[in-house]
Amino acid sequence: MSVIEVKDLTKVFRIPKKDPGLGGAIKGLFRPQFENKTAVDGISFNLDAGEIVGYIGVNGAGKSTTIKMLTGVLMPTSGNISVLGRDPHRQRVDNARDIGVVFGQRSQLWWDLALIESLNLIARIYDVHPVKYRLMLNQFTETLELDELLKIPVRNMSLGQKMRSELAAALIHEPKIVYLDEPTIGLDLLVKERIRDFIKKECISKGMTVMLTTHDLGDIEELCQRVIIIDDGRIIYDGPIDTIKKRFGKYREITFDTVENVNGLVLPEGAERLEAPDYKVQIRFDRTLSTASKIASTVMNQVEVSDFSLSEPDLGDIVKQIYNGALDREPR
Amino acid sequence: MIRNAKRDLSVYAAFFAMIPKLFMAYQLWFWIGLVLSVISMAILVFFWRAVYADTASISGLALDKTLQYILLAFIFSPLAGNDLVWEFGSNLREGMMIHHLLRPINFQGMNYAQNLGRLVTELMLQIPVVIVAVVLFGLRFPTDIATWLGFIVSALLGLTVMFFFYWFLACLTFYTTEVWGLGVLIQGMSFFLSGTLVPIIMMPAWLQTIVLSVPFAQAVGVPVSLLTGIIPLSEAPRVWLTQILWIIGMWILSTLFFKVAVRKITVQGG
Repeated sequence: MSVIEVKDLTKVFRIPKKDPGLGGAIKGLFRPQFENKTAVDGISFNLDAGEIVGYIGVNGAGKSTTIKMLTGVLMPTSGNISVLGRDPHRQRVDNARDIGVVFGQRSQLWWDLALIESLNLIARIYDVHPVKYRLMLNQFTETLELDELLKIPVRNMSLGQKMRSELAAALIHEPKIVYLDEPTIGLDLLVKERIRDFIKKECISKGMTVMLTTHDLGDIEELCQRVIIIDDGRIIYDGPIDTIKKRFGKYREITFDTVENVNGLVLPEGAERLEAPDYKVQIRFDRTLSTASKIASTVMNQVEVSDFSLSEPDLGDIVKQIYNGALDREPR
Repeated sequence: MIRNAKRDLSVYAAFFAMIPKLFMAYQLWFWIGLVLSVISMAILVFFWRAVYADTASISGLALDKTLQYILLAFIFSPLAGNDLVWEFGSNLREGMMIHHLLRPINFQGMNYAQNLGRLVTELMLQIPVVIVAVVLFGLRFPTDIATWLGFIVSALLGLTVMFFFYWFLACLTFYTTEVWGLGVLIQGMSFFLSGTLVPIIMMPAWLQTIVLSVPFAQAVGVPVSLLTGIIPLSEAPRVWLTQILWIIGMWILSTLFFKVAVRKITVQGG
């Protein structure tokens, strides 16, 4: 059963166009010129109840604009949205009761209030039963390790602490649909891991429908079965994550800084050495055949390594490759 | 239905109660504000004493009456104050507006509750100023209960007029995204046009017409005139009715404008 239905959704922004310099500014005062920018261009998709879908694309692809229209704060230029059978813009307040939203780049908590005050207020707004609220709060305090944070004003929190608090605030009323817009942006690996774990446990166990935007492929791999890739306002891929993973997620690159130039390295199966500058050894390996630790230990056994780094496949690259027919699928 | 109303009330009460906590987050402001208030009040008193140096009465008001009015208007000036324009501005700038609109609650109602919270907090913070006014400048409060009743009703109505009026102005920020100029302009106009600086009755006729055709005076000048007897108590029902008409007009205007303006919301980000 579809809980979110989107059909031919389009959003065109009218942006004032200004010539550079003072002259341009003055001209803009008297004869403002506008430029139409199509942020979302006729997209359609359905989300079933309980699905966790990754909605990905490079910066400016139209992800947040879509989310804002789905939540009801932004009015579409054309097209239809139905969320749980409602038009989210017309029935914004009713819709709001059933959704939870995290925008990674802005906070929904009250800056100057201690976290617990914000949470109390939110529980009251969403009419969470006091007994239920206490239960949820205890649970979140444990899973998100909020213990020490509850009494701190949000303005004094670190980025990771803030994000944990945001998640608690967005999910305390057990919404049916959760929109997570870049929930791991700017976080370090450890915190990312913890946040992903929490989302996985919380949302899957309660059957929430989750739409997750990110440009971190790690988030998607951990959480989603399905991805929608958007570029320049259009959907260029909508399908299982496995296809993407098989095609693009198979290879990793690992780079070693060595103290001397190395020749004749013996490598495990599935790994090949790439061209690299002096004092660097760059190796690409197939994750299905080998692991990063195996490669690292093999190399370190043979040469002295001063530093090394592992790189993930880049989303921009993947989008480019999809355009070049990497999925043997016509871009829509 | 009743359950819903009860829930809404409890939510509004929570927003109301939040404001004092926000104020207390910046304790230093309390002390700075207090010192500034006492200085401003002293300037006003000395100014009016100087004005009355050569005359016993202006527009039928003796010095003592004028001073009583000025002191009370100063103390109750938070009635005309309002943070809505700044609120909207900073909300839009920081992208908080989206989160407010995503709450399953009437956004205007939430702001009204917060505005009441702000008013009560600011009036409490005026208590030291009141003490200074009584001890140093000879302020006397009326003792007649009917006068107070007339004042309180009129003050609440006036406050509501101003709320919707500021709501209307705040919607402009959806278009300008710039609030500093607008905010300062409103603050200055409010100080003068609300009758905090000069009793309305002393203004020349043409200025009185202007002052009474904009809403500012409804919140301070009019109620404090009732409190000091400059407007006789028998006039109170007429005053209230005028204020109710103001509320209806401003409510319609501001609600319509908000409906249109909110579509303008274009928060950055792809």
